[in-house]
Amino acid sequence: MSHNGKRQPHFLPAASRRDLLRLAANGFGAIALEALLQKTGYGAGAKARVNPLAPKAPHFEAKANAVIFLFMVGGPSHIDTFDPKPTLKKYEGQQLPESFGKVPSQFTNGDTPILASPWTFSRHGECGMEVSTLFPHLAKCVDDICFVRSFYTESVVHAPAMYQVHSGRIFAGHPSLGSWVTYGLGSESENLPAYVVMPQPEGTPEGGTPCWGAGYLPAVYQGTLFRSGSTPIMNLRPPAHMSPERQRATLDLLQEMNELDLDGDSDTELAARIASYELAFRMQSHAPEAVDLSKESEATKRMYGLDRKETAEFGTRCLLARRLVERGVRFIQLYSGGGPVSVQWDAHKDLVQNHEKMAGMTDQPIAALLTDLKQRGLLESTLVIWGSEFGRLPTSQSGNGRDHNPHGFTMWFAGGGTKGGQVIGATDDFGLRAVGERYHMRDFHATILHALGLDQHKLWVLHNGRHEKLTDFGGKVIHQVFG
Amino acid sequence: MAGTRTMVIASAALVVAFTLCAAIDPAQDEKFIGKRRNWWAFRKPVRPPVPPVKSAWTRTPIDQFILAALTEKNLSPSPELDRRRLIRRLYLDVTGLPPTPEEVRAFLADRSPDAYTKLVDRLLASPQYGERWALRWLDVVRYADTNGFELDAERRHAWRYRDYVVRAFNEDKPYDRFLKEQIAGDEIWPGNTEALIATGFHRVGPIHLVGGNQDEEMNRQEVLTEMTATIGSAVLGITIGCARCHNHKFDPILQSDYYRLQAFMAATEGKDIEIATADEKAAYEAALKEYKARLKPIKNRIAEIEKPVREKLTNQKKALLEPHLREALDTPEEKRSEEQKKLAKIAKEQIGLSWDEVVNALSEEDRRKRAELRRQMHAIALTEPEPPATAYAVVNMDQAPPTHILKVGDHKQKLDVVEPGFPLVLSNYGVTIPKGPVGRRTALANWLTSPDHPLTARVMVNRIWQLRMGTGLVPTPNDFGMLGTAPTHPALLDWLAVEFIESGWSIKTIDRMILLSSVYRQSSANDPAKAKIDPDNKLYWRANRRRLEAEHLRDSILRTAGTLNLKMGGKPVRVPIEQEVYDLIFSEDEPDNLWPVTPDASEHTRRSLYLLNKRTVRLPLLANFDQPDTMSSCPARPVSTHALQALTLFNSDFMQEQSAAFANRLKRACGDNLSCQVETAYEIALARPPRPVEVAMARKFLNGKGTLADFCLALLNRNEFVYVP
Repeated sequence: MSHNGKRQPHFLPAASRRDLLRLAANGFGAIALEALLQKTGYGAGAKARVNPLAPKAPHFEAKANAVIFLFMVGGPSHIDTFDPKPTLKKYEGQQLPESFGKVPSQFTNGDTPILASPWTFSRHGECGMEVSTLFPHLAKCVDDICFVRSFYTESVVHAPAMYQVHSGRIFAGHPSLGSWVTYGLGSESENLPAYVVMPQPEGTPEGGTPCWGAGYLPAVYQGTLFRSGSTPIMNLRPPAHMSPERQRATLDLLQEMNELDLDGDSDTELAARIASYELAFRMQSHAPEAVDLSKESEATKRMYGLDRKETAEFGTRCLLARRLVERGVRFIQLYSGGGPVSVQWDAHKDLVQNHEKMAGMTDQPIAALLTDLKQRGLLESTLVIWGSEFGRLPTSQSGNGRDHNPHGFTMWFAGGGTKGGQVIGATDDFGLRAVGERYHMRDFHATILHALGLDQHKLWVLHNGRHEKLTDFGGKVIHQVFG
Repeated sequence: MAGTRTMVIASAALVVAFTLCAAIDPAQDEKFIGKRRNWWAFRKPVRPPVPPVKSAWTRTPIDQFILAALTEKNLSPSPELDRRRLIRRLYLDVTGLPPTPEEVRAFLADRSPDAYTKLVDRLLASPQYGERWALRWLDVVRYADTNGFELDAERRHAWRYRDYVVRAFNEDKPYDRFLKEQIAGDEIWPGNTEALIATGFHRVGPIHLVGGNQDEEMNRQEVLTEMTATIGSAVLGITIGCARCHNHKFDPILQSDYYRLQAFMAATEGKDIEIATADEKAAYEAALKEYKARLKPIKNRIAEIEKPVREKLTNQKKALLEPHLREALDTPEEKRSEEQKKLAKIAKEQIGLSWDEVVNALSEEDRRKRAELRRQMHAIALTEPEPPATAYAVVNMDQAPPTHILKVGDHKQKLDVVEPGFPLVLSNYGVTIPKGPVGRRTALANWLTSPDHPLTARVMVNRIWQLRMGTGLVPTPNDFGMLGTAPTHPALLDWLAVEFIESGWSIKTIDRMILLSSVYRQSSANDPAKAKIDPDNKLYWRANRRRLEAEHLRDSILRTAGTLNLKMGGKPVRVPIEQEVYDLIFSEDEPDNLWPVTPDASEHTRRSLYLLNKRTVRLPLLANFDQPDTMSSCPARPVSTHALQALTLFNSDFMQEQSAAFANRLKRACGDNLSCQVETAYEIALARPPRPVEVAMARKFLNGKGTLADFCLALLNRNEFVYVP
């Protein structure tokens, strides 16, 4: 793909011959590929054509080389978790002061009575950060967490707001964050997908697959669904009737035939197909190994809450996330919530029941993930993000719930070069709107790309006459996040 | 979309720079356009002379243009493809399907000098021609069968637009007529059903429909944005959508131009219009009544099972209500005070039950019974009568609301009012625009299809060229502006554009000329010496080898396995999907009938064009091979190669079924004769006999661990099968 003679920056980066051979190592195709490329004298970029996910150098020195994005589907309430508002107690049952004006949300208009937080907050860690009683485990990790309390977004509705936090726009069809990151950096893993997505087993987030779609980038950059269990990737295994030997024999036949097709052809597109089958074959053995928790210690499993019904499922996915990071996966998107309303953070009514359930499922596993990554020395290079499509209103819905609030909400970062134990930004006394230095989703994305050594303005693709970028016409990097 | 957006722009300085010219100021506007008025794509194409190069190679004027450019760079064309590969290429290109062995044999046997011409003409007249073209046109207008966003509901009548497109290409409907029908069919040919269906063009993009508070004005603006962008990308080949928030950064398109274009659609709104006869409607009503009667007893039995649990749960929740809420709820409706009315509403919301609360509270026995009843209910639902035939179309409102220029595209920041009008960089080609709501789109369609229009014909001949040659003469087919890539052969482009108009906008005429050309018939084999001079093959010294588009890969597999159902048209088919894919369908409701598979299994092997295209849930085989996501116009599909393709194409149930079917086909033809099986497999899958080395490979494999179905699987995965030669 070229445009006016200028290459799109991330389609064909430079490559070394050694990398190329490493890429195709172990397998029938390796020798064929080597012979082919020697014979034809491939140029720079051949490797990328053979494997578009080959690792690529960042634009500048990266602080992080992997991302785990913990996405809380439906909008957890910032004012009941990480952004305490004592003022709400004082105004409980009253209306928002008139000076706030009309506050249209999806179902309410900001004219319902104020609902104070049913939970109490206390200070934790050396930094003295306030966390509500919803997150007793996570509260112990606050010295490693950088809270940003002044994010805002553009839509009050789930799907558009999800598209915005995932891909920068309120419309589907733009590449997701993980797609941009793998487009920019490729993958460190030769045996696993670069960009892994683990949804809630009960169902998908409202935005559906476009949340991890590649948009107008090639399909190779889309997120790959990953499940716990012995077949984590769809179609990973041959059907039951086909023995591994028979499968290998069939694959060898295919590769032999494909080699014939290569004859006399110097371009690498067909070689790429040969390599993709070898990669797929390696994935068949490596992916089940990656999700096999039998070698994890009992202590580790307990730490993630695998021994408790409430936490076992999300804990398993958090533990898998760590294992995938260890194995070089670049971007992991993990969803808490999806499907029925009762399994989302979408507390339109009965906030207490909803948030205690959802926090109960995730608190210990997330704390365990941070602790575990830190113990293994992986937190420094792994950016962990916790967030959602929006927060919730200080006013009530159905008496005991809250409607959506895109005007101000909290997300947090840990690891990956960020400075823990700090709070950036604020909402007003009611937790309604971000005040002072406010951060748009573009700023959120610019900051994440920055941590990965990617310049938001250099990471682009030409689509329908526009230089499309994750941050569109640019976001501001929240440098304070990095201390 | 509900609620409002707080559009806050991060970079204020940038915004100011973009919006300085937002209001209308003729002097400023003229200055902005300036010399760019002379950009080649904005000047009417004039037929250039055909280069006087002639050789044994040149069969058509196209070849003369190509050869002249090649000669200039000391390049020469590649040899013609052998006849077996040529017929395979032609079939895959023109119909999206490989030729059958009989068709190959007939072509090889025909030694007459016009054998190839006859073949081209036969394929241009085949019904699959329109199906192949429709796939490309639907990419460009981003057609899907659902709305997108969270609910992603099915559009039950959209498929009539899809079938209209197939018919239009098959009939070689003149392109000017094709555009007029799609843009203003309702206005120009009132009462003409076909023209009405064509206006679905304005509605095939995504739309956000969701409950709760609605900002109607914003919703409307989004609909208009979708309509306007499509005219720009699909027809004009100008990225006019870029001027929605500010004057175009590269092209002489003003922000006011964008809103003037949008104003043509100001009175246009989507409407499903019944086109059935009174008898058909009556028959439907009767069938519906009968259908509902069949459902009712099952629904009643489900309600009976749920009743005690619902009562119990409601009472429990009621007991937990705060006293003032309970009191309000217990007060008879007519006696509630104003305050109590509000409280009672809240109380009702708090005690409301979700489906999963009810199901979880049932006894195991009742849950089982209920699940069985729901299965019965879903089975009956498959027999729901088809609603009366309906056009997924547009109509005009009684009045056209004023169109404002919107600061940074925000509907809350209205600037000057504009009337419908053509981009200032282009002239009006004698077309006048009516004042009222009716006839605006007619004017737009007449302007676009004026023989003087510099873009419309060029954009379409470029798409024809791109479809046949792999790349466009303008490699950015939706962008003929300054950021687009310059044409590799500007004179050829203009020659084709003029020829196109003079042929009466006949797509088949241009298509035929390309397919008959020598440049089309070249081999795609590489030549290192030539590649050094022109590595990207911009001058077409060889054919571009192209991977089959995702849908054609699936169709070719079915054709080869002998399972393809060639039935054309009709409502979209739901094929069985993997559990993992099913789980991706978003629903807050009970997820036990989210994908009612089309009951007739013979429908599952229809061409991919007819499979339900759901915006948020893609079929892995298609999505992995770069099927576009239908969220924005796709002018050219990317081609990516990755491991998930290999997993899908090797391990999926679909591939296992099809390779088994292919093997059975071979057994039916050859019994246990291994040589015959291998020979026939190659003839069917690759339109050629196997080479000795291939026979040896196959023998070794089949005498060792491999089964015939495994051999078929390998063949269907082979590069030669997946690529157009």
